[in-house]
Amino acid sequence: MKRWPALVLLAAMLAFLLRPALFVPLLAPLAPEGAPVIYDRAGLLSLTLAHLALVAGAMVPATLVAVALGIFVRRPAGEAFLPLSRVVTGFGQTFPPVAVLALTVPVLGFGTWPTLLALFLYGLLPVFENTLAAFSALPPSVVEAARGTGMTPRQRLWQVELPLALPLILDGVRTATVISLSTATIGSVVAARGLGEVIIAGLTSQNLAFVAQGGVLVAVLAILLAQGFALLSARLR
Amino acid sequence: MIGLHNLSKHYDDLRAVDDVSLSIETGSVVAIVGTSGSGKSTLLRLVNRLIEPTAGHVTLNGQDTRDMPAFELRRRIGYVIQDHGLFPHWTVARNIATVPRLLGWPKDKIRARVEELLRLLSLDPATIGPRFPHQLSGGQMQRVGVARALAARPELLLMDEPFGALDPVLRGKAQADLRAIQQTLGSTILLVTHDMAEAIRLSDRVAVMRAGRVEQFGTPAEILSRPATAFVRDLVGEGERAFRFLSLIPATDLAEEGAASGQPLPRTATASEALDALIWQNAEALPLEGGGRISRAALLRAGHP
Repeated sequence: MKRWPALVLLAAMLAFLLRPALFVPLLAPLAPEGAPVIYDRAGLLSLTLAHLALVAGAMVPATLVAVALGIFVRRPAGEAFLPLSRVVTGFGQTFPPVAVLALTVPVLGFGTWPTLLALFLYGLLPVFENTLAAFSALPPSVVEAARGTGMTPRQRLWQVELPLALPLILDGVRTATVISLSTATIGSVVAARGLGEVIIAGLTSQNLAFVAQGGVLVAVLAILLAQGFALLSARLR
Repeated sequence: MIGLHNLSKHYDDLRAVDDVSLSIETGSVVAIVGTSGSGKSTLLRLVNRLIEPTAGHVTLNGQDTRDMPAFELRRRIGYVIQDHGLFPHWTVARNIATVPRLLGWPKDKIRARVEELLRLLSLDPATIGPRFPHQLSGGQMQRVGVARALAARPELLLMDEPFGALDPVLRGKAQADLRAIQQTLGSTILLVTHDMAEAIRLSDRVAVMRAGRVEQFGTPAEILSRPATAFVRDLVGEGERAFRFLSLIPATDLAEEGAASGQPLPRTATASEALDALIWQNAEALPLEGGGRISRAALLRAGHP
């Protein structure tokens, strides 16, 4: 895998976040006459960081829950819960995040919490399904050897099964993270801080330059994170 | 001494293992031979409780194995499987150290033991130890699998088709190595194979299994000379009976005084190898390394019970 395209992209993004003025000539044609070219109601850098924090705040618990659930339903004690878990995580993914926001705002109020919940539910399925696949793909002879050498179930899990399943699980986390990066933009509808704010401001003021900078920033973040995950999982294989 | 007492494993109507009793003397090798589906692997896995029996029990040096947790039992029993099941994310040294680590041996003791085992299996600790399983040849992986099973000086070694994945040349070498190691360490081994020749070559006693039951349990010579049932006779193979029988006899047992011309036979040769050499060199007799000779007549006399 060539790394320089990702590095160029990263440099361009950092330049834009730290010195947005440099990009004014590029974006000016998209902005209406006399309107600001660069979003100015909040710093782009701080919005980007808030956006990433929102995604991380949803993905870390989603990963922990989905992996734990995936492990649990493969144990004899949890086997009976497999169909139910599939339905629940599947529902979490198919239920539109916008609807989750609409339903939870009355309970949780405006701001970060409804968005975190929507992203959390949305992220469960890819991680859960990949965890199941990763554990099914373990070589039977290796699992047999782990039992045969006298490892306890816990030792088998931590020393053999999880390390071998990790690359595939990480692929699931990557998919979920990339999806939730773009999905997080709708959080701005309920006033969660993030890059969605820039896009929505652009839409309401018919300023295409805002829409473009918000959209491109989210896309670039997604590409970079996907690359980072791919690198990590390749290193673990 | 390992005792299998009336072991049975039933799956609904299928009697995978049906009332099997065997005893394995400490320091001896017992081979279980049978066709696929005869229940021989199931029987092996009942011993280390990878499968729990429907009825019956196993004693390990007088101790009922039901009286200890299964994982503790397995740490006292080495287990070698056909696909070796090496942990792909661990180095060879770490793989071999598996059971000693589970038992909480001190680090330097583990390191010394791993090195000792690699040497024992003619693997160089410095070059092979730090490698990962995927960097090894099939023969090397098989030997690492054996080293891992031997690491904590188990009271019993279970081997399920341990040479099944090797080509014939490597297999012959691996069998000879195993026999040598077994004699050096005095290990007690229960081995499963579908290959009667392998069973005869490696073991002190052979149990022939069919449909979950032991049809005959005896020394290789007994199995060859007095097969108890038609099935055992078929498995021995009538066509090669005499050669199998000769393969049990060391050539030195048939040595006589006198000289002969031709390529000398090594003193480790079996009578069957001696006959092969005689036929191939078209000789009446061949000299034995270090003196004496082996004649065609002596071999022909020895070739039946």
